[in-house]
Amino acid sequence: MKYVVLMASLPPLGTLFEAATPPISRIRLESRLALLEAADRQTLERIANLIAWSAQPLERSDAAFVAEAHRFLATNPSPTLRRLVTQRLEMRTIVAALRRRRRGEAKPPAGEVWGFGEWVGLIERHWSAPTFQLEGIFPWVRQARELLEKDDLIGFERLQFSVVWAMLNRLGEGHHFDFEALIIYLARWSLVSRWSGYKAESAVVRFRELVDAGLGSHRELFAGASQ
Amino acid sequence: MTNDTSILVLGWIGIYAPVALAAIGASIGCTTAGQAAIGAMMEVSSGYGRFVGLSALPSSMSIYGIVVMFILNRAVTPANSGGLFGIGLLSGLAFLMAGIYQGLCCASAISGSKSKPEIFGLSLAPAAIVEGFAVFAFVFALVAAGGIPR
Repeated sequence: MKYVVLMASLPPLGTLFEAATPPISRIRLESRLALLEAADRQTLERIANLIAWSAQPLERSDAAFVAEAHRFLATNPSPTLRRLVTQRLEMRTIVAALRRRRRGEAKPPAGEVWGFGEWVGLIERHWSAPTFQLEGIFPWVRQARELLEKDDLIGFERLQFSVVWAMLNRLGEGHHFDFEALIIYLARWSLVSRWSGYKAESAVVRFRELVDAGLGSHRELFAGASQ
Repeated sequence: MTNDTSILVLGWIGIYAPVALAAIGASIGCTTAGQAAIGAMMEVSSGYGRFVGLSALPSSMSIYGIVVMFILNRAVTPANSGGLFGIGLLSGLAFLMAGIYQGLCCASAISGSKSKPEIFGLSLAPAAIVEGFAVFAFVFALVAAGGIPR
């Protein structure tokens, strides 16, 4: 019952690709989230650390990431939230495999943790199959592969957003005024925000941030060399 | 406690159960809908009155409970205790659950109509239907109470 005020104060998000801007700004959303208790904020941060790209530190290894995901799944009591994290990470694993193969990796990564979920073994065994034999379970994989083959990266991104949006709609059934409903709302808001915010300027800023983070302590060295 | 005393206790529980359980249901329902009204008022800049008014809808369960209690209220005897207990407890449970779920219906109506005011009237339909079920429980509790010996 404690989430009723918060959920009722959030505007409907509408459909994914139509909004020019999110119906609620990040600042206002964060001010509303101040209504959450500390334990809920902590859970929210753990989920965000697992499923939000912007929350991924570059220095964290895939193995550490997967270990954190398993810790979350072992401790969170909500089946819906566990399914949310599991399905997002499994989808990310498949996308990672498609991208790896696209950039020329003829064999699956050996001796390292590179994916999450029950499909990793199947993907490794069927690395050379067009859809890793997964299209019966994930029908979108075939289309994703075709889009990657055509270098249609915008279409590829759009497809991923559509799949995640549909997944969130399914997970949200039966949840209206509870914590699961809030997490699903935030995940959907994140999609709307990211899609409506795709701009060349933002991409350049993000690229610079990544380069700066990658250079780390070597930045001064390069700065000195350029003078 | 003798058997007769135990039976009389059941009768007294039956008399007070409708109002007690209905009050609990109405409290929970009004709290849920009221919280939704507060949340909606954070988002909109007008139309507060109808949100608050709608959040009070589950309070009708208390009224039904009070009326059933008055109808059942009589001298408790071993002959009428069973009837009082059955009708009182079950009608009270019906009001309790109707109050809780009507509160959720009202909360959804408030949440939905805050950004689409034109659906306000239609969004009341689920709460009205739940109210209808509570009225069934209320009316037939009165009818059944007519057969309990005084």
